[in-house]
Amino acid sequence: MNNRSQTQRFPLWASLYLALTFAVLAIGFYEAMTAPKEATMGNLYRVFFYHFPHTILSFVFPYMNCVAAFLFLFWRRSNPARALKADAFALASGEITVLYASVGLATGMLWGRAAWGIWWTWDPRLTTYLLLWLLYVSYLLLRKLTTGDQKAVLSAVLAIFAAIDIPICFMSIRWWRTQHPAPVFGGGADSGIDPHMLPAVFWNLAAWAMWGAFVLGLRYTIERRRQGIVAVEAGPVVAPASPVLEVR
Amino acid sequence: MIPFSTLSERHLVYAYCAVWILQFGYGTWLAIQWRRTRKKTTEQSG
Repeated sequence: MNNRSQTQRFPLWASLYLALTFAVLAIGFYEAMTAPKEATMGNLYRVFFYHFPHTILSFVFPYMNCVAAFLFLFWRRSNPARALKADAFALASGEITVLYASVGLATGMLWGRAAWGIWWTWDPRLTTYLLLWLLYVSYLLLRKLTTGDQKAVLSAVLAIFAAIDIPICFMSIRWWRTQHPAPVFGGGADSGIDPHMLPAVFWNLAAWAMWGAFVLGLRYTIERRRQGIVAVEAGPVVAPASPVLEVR
Repeated sequence: MIPFSTLSERHLVYAYCAVWILQFGYGTWLAIQWRRTRKKTTEQSG
């Protein structure tokens, strides 16, 4: 068996990592279900244990996407091989951003309907978060629907501009009065939660971060393979034949 | 028994189910893509 077919197998370390991730997810779920009831919302607040990690991580993956897009632009002429790797990583992190932001939106709306009586309100946090989701959906659509050499360049530029929304969205609950609750962590003297609820927060944050890293790596590998398939199908670049001129 | 009688209880269940469906649905799609690209690269390498 050659080296190439060996590298195409799912590595043992990745299987072990995935098993560990599922174990941490299970612990996170158990902690979320057994944490003490909240005084005003009762059991409904348990949505927080899934909503919070996904929302925080949906602010991390776009930065990875931005850095990868920047590296792609930096290397695209000087080192095309590295630029392709950066482009694959940008695509992977862009997709994971949409995934995590979709979960953040869905859980937030389900929680909002039960807690506030409304599915949606145009407050600064929700609006900038929807904008973040739309920006990264448009990033993926741009990559999907365009062809040609400029596709990766245009999407990289969009990725860099889209990242501007992340700090605005993150700070919105500190800068403005919003329907969305004030920050639970790092929000001043009135912020924080009961210490008995902290294990559920951190186990779930660790679990969904581990899962995010796994799907990010898997998506990156798939995209690298796809780049290899496209390169082989395109075949070697052949210089056009010189016109034959007969000189008499 | 999963509590499902009030709106709050239902939305708690929906939120957890939505997370699992989205995340593991994406994971399943990635697993399919992994198999497809592996098959193609194996064919190309001969």
